[in-house]
Amino acid sequence: MATVSLDAFLAEIDRLRIDATAALSAAVDAPALEAARVEFLGAKSGRLKSIQKLLGGLAADDRPAGGRHFNELKQAVSDALEGAQQRLADGGESIEPIDVTLPGDPPRLGHLHPITQTIRRVQEIMSRLGFESVDGPEVEDQWHNFEALAIGAEHPARDPLDNFYLAVAQGTDPLLLRSQTSTVQIRVMERRKPPLRIVSLGRVYRPDTADATHYPMFHQVEGLLVEPGTTMAHLKSVLRMFASSFLGGDVHVRFRPSFFPFTEPSVEVDMEWGGRWIEMGGAGMVDPAVLEAVGYDPDSVSGFAFGLGVERIAARRYGVADIRDFYRNDVRFLSQF
Amino acid sequence: MIISTSWLADYVQIPAGVDSLVERLLMSGLNHESTNTVGGDTAVEIEVTSNRSDCLGQIGVAREAAVLFGRPLHVPDPRPLEGAGRAAASVSVTIDAAQFCPYYSCRVLRGVRVGPSPAWLVERLATIGIESVNNIVDITNYVMFECGQPLHAFDLGRLRGGRIIVRRAVAGETFTAINHKSYTLTEQMCVIADVEGPVALAGVMGGAESEIGPQTVDVLLESAQFAPLAVRAAARGLVLSSPSSYRFERLPDPAAVDWASRRAAAMILDLAGGTLEQGVVEAGRLACSPAEIDLRPNRLEEVLGIGIPAERQRAILTGLGFVELGGVEDLAAGAVRWRAPSWRRDVWREIDLVEEVARIEGYAAIPENRPISARPIDLSARELAVRAVSEVLVAAGMCEAMTRSVVSEPLEAMASPWGQPEPLVVTPALVRGADRLRRTLLPSLLEARAGNMAVAAPHGELFEVARAYIGRKPATASGGDASPVEEPLLVAAVTAAGFAAAKGLAEALLARLGIGEAQAVTFRPIELDLFSRGRAAEIVLHGATAAERIGVVGEFSRRALDRAGLEATAAGVELRLDRLDFAIGRDRPLRRPSDYPAIERDLNLVVDEAIAWGDIEAAIRSGAGQLLERCRLVEIWKDAERLGHGRKSVVVSLRLRSDSGTLSSDDAKRAVDAVINSCSSHCGAVLR
Repeated sequence: MATVSLDAFLAEIDRLRIDATAALSAAVDAPALEAARVEFLGAKSGRLKSIQKLLGGLAADDRPAGGRHFNELKQAVSDALEGAQQRLADGGESIEPIDVTLPGDPPRLGHLHPITQTIRRVQEIMSRLGFESVDGPEVEDQWHNFEALAIGAEHPARDPLDNFYLAVAQGTDPLLLRSQTSTVQIRVMERRKPPLRIVSLGRVYRPDTADATHYPMFHQVEGLLVEPGTTMAHLKSVLRMFASSFLGGDVHVRFRPSFFPFTEPSVEVDMEWGGRWIEMGGAGMVDPAVLEAVGYDPDSVSGFAFGLGVERIAARRYGVADIRDFYRNDVRFLSQF
Repeated sequence: MIISTSWLADYVQIPAGVDSLVERLLMSGLNHESTNTVGGDTAVEIEVTSNRSDCLGQIGVAREAAVLFGRPLHVPDPRPLEGAGRAAASVSVTIDAAQFCPYYSCRVLRGVRVGPSPAWLVERLATIGIESVNNIVDITNYVMFECGQPLHAFDLGRLRGGRIIVRRAVAGETFTAINHKSYTLTEQMCVIADVEGPVALAGVMGGAESEIGPQTVDVLLESAQFAPLAVRAAARGLVLSSPSSYRFERLPDPAAVDWASRRAAAMILDLAGGTLEQGVVEAGRLACSPAEIDLRPNRLEEVLGIGIPAERQRAILTGLGFVELGGVEDLAAGAVRWRAPSWRRDVWREIDLVEEVARIEGYAAIPENRPISARPIDLSARELAVRAVSEVLVAAGMCEAMTRSVVSEPLEAMASPWGQPEPLVVTPALVRGADRLRRTLLPSLLEARAGNMAVAAPHGELFEVARAYIGRKPATASGGDASPVEEPLLVAAVTAAGFAAAKGLAEALLARLGIGEAQAVTFRPIELDLFSRGRAAEIVLHGATAAERIGVVGEFSRRALDRAGLEATAAGVELRLDRLDFAIGRDRPLRRPSDYPAIERDLNLVVDEAIAWGDIEAAIRSGAGQLLERCRLVEIWKDAERLGHGRKSVVVSLRLRSDSGTLSSDDAKRAVDAVINSCSSHCGAVLR
């Protein structure tokens, strides 16, 4: 004959589960935990034991269900005890739980300028192809900025309005802020003999009015390779390797005829990006006049050169709509790179 | 340059649509800008590179299209009928400025009827964006846009004295152009004058007084060659560019000078009536000497990496107007001698012929998978140094800035740590007010910091690696490799913190560059108007032979902060990286950490206030010897009552450790005693 109803039995079980979980998780040291263990799991008069005794008072039909619930309770209390023991073993007795959604303390991180990051990336890729990074003066003379690059005295590129000339005393060679980094290539070729593979990079200056796509100071990366037997096929292959590394995947390049005083033939270089042809820069075979100007024999060596506008590719790579942002030096902008 | 497809069809029948034409032109050197429908015509705007003056006319583009599509080109050969009267009796021409105008010619038409142009002419001009004026002016424009040779028509009745004089402008001379604006001329410009004054700005624009109008009966039709420099000087100097000046700056086809004149005369007779007087009145010599160029058979393959059959080379060059010269004796085996057409003065060498064949054939066939050999390279010491310092500063939480190399006078005028030669001024200014090359990066960084404060981004901890410009170097005989201006490569940083933080940055940078162990570096007080008095130091590197300033560090003066527009205080450091990259690539001996325990001892030394920490530290180091692992300043305090007037207490913490065994307290005591003795004898220190 049943002396305890199943409902009353289950209510006892729920009550014990709540009490045990609360007591075990509130235990802040080993004695408190032991006291809780004795209270609930004690072999003689633990509360679990008392409930087990009630099991016999259930109606025969209710006993299997009651037994199942009892076993679940026993497991849950044992787990809670184990968890509590583990917690105390970790030394966490006095830890207040924290609001994990509170903000973290950010370390102050520095950032390289996106232009520097772009230049480094280009340098890195080109260095794998054997191109050495070189640097040279930004204030240049007429020879290195124009004449050696086959830009004659009457060429419009030499117009005072198109360059930043230095005010100097009469009779001295006029100087100007370089308008291209090809000047460095001339300087390296004057000093060294082929074979030669270099990338010259740095600031260049042209009097453009600053707008979203122009700034009077910007950066160029120019590659130069001079070795016997160099052809446009080598130029195209190197640019394709560069493009594939820089843009990722198997990128194709396309040449469109163009004109630069210091290369012949001269081409515009397009790279296929996202299903479209994107203009990346200019290139060509080094003009024989340039090779002669630095004392090379155009019949025994040939070479190619190419140039990329760093701001343009950085703007595209990072989605910068206005290149003036590169020169505002706003930390809110710089710290995103 | 805008082409009209219906106009183009006068010279060549293209068996394809506009898109196909645009694509072929694009891939052979005429970049596509836009395509627009104008009335019943299509306007295609293309970009013509500065070497291709031949494509600044419809015929030139038609020639390209004819070669690209393998179609014949039809160019008219105008033969205007001459009537009574001799032009030479009506007008004379004198050139007084041959360097500006090598050749001048004119024809004379009498009894023309000035009026509106026929619809077809108005429409063609409309397609290329030119407004109709009257039949005579429209014809001169039409012919210019047809062949690239600019023309000008004068009202002969308004020319005084029956004389055309081509001369250099007199400085200060004024001239009213057909736009009815008045211009003051310089000696770098060339004018067409009658006996009283200028009637046209040569190659740029005609004058208002002699322009063609309803009253015009007799016309003087000018066709000439003008030097690009003179035309550019006028067009740019007066901000008065025109389609004519644009073409003269790019050297039009010399053979088109007479063709255009005949073409326009024939059209005037046709559309405006009148009589053409006999002959051409001319002066000077028409400069036209087409180049003769030998093309060796394997040259294309040597440049392009792929061969192009000889017949194909021949077809392309012939189509472009090059003439194969036969019966040439001094020719290499298999080579062909070509004469360039008059309109291709940009082609005068073998490599130019190679490009002509290649661009028409197209670069698509050039392979993109040729291997290149491997080559070992490394970053230069300079590049390694740049990366090393950037790494340190980024790790210190700073953002890299890029500021302008050219600054305003107030910023430049502050004393630079790197010398005070004459300022280097550039023209034009880089941006408004900034026309001086900077001699230090620090003021620019202060400005950038101020900019950040202004937008409430107070964390303006910024650094920059860039060049400064310190005066012109004395001219060397050889020129050669030397850069004309001294350009030190600098690394600079600014921080909101004080001197100690800036000095800490300097020390970290020097350590990272491998400097400061083998080389002695000292900090010495310095006065510069950039920094507060008493709060700045120069950093001196003591080399084997000489000591050199390689850096400065300090708290900025109020004057410097004010000039940069910065209210808050700041400190900064600047180092000459170009003098500090010598140790970066070297292997430094690694010090293995000791396995034995350390002993810590604190000392409280009392010294005169005037004794610098640097001297105390040197005394401690020399006394402690090898066992001293670290010497740390704990605090300095002053208390006249407890220490005596003019005295200070310096608390230092020493850490002693041996590489070879555990130190005993006796060992430690010996070392500490030695330190005390050393401090006593070098600095007059007493133990408190």
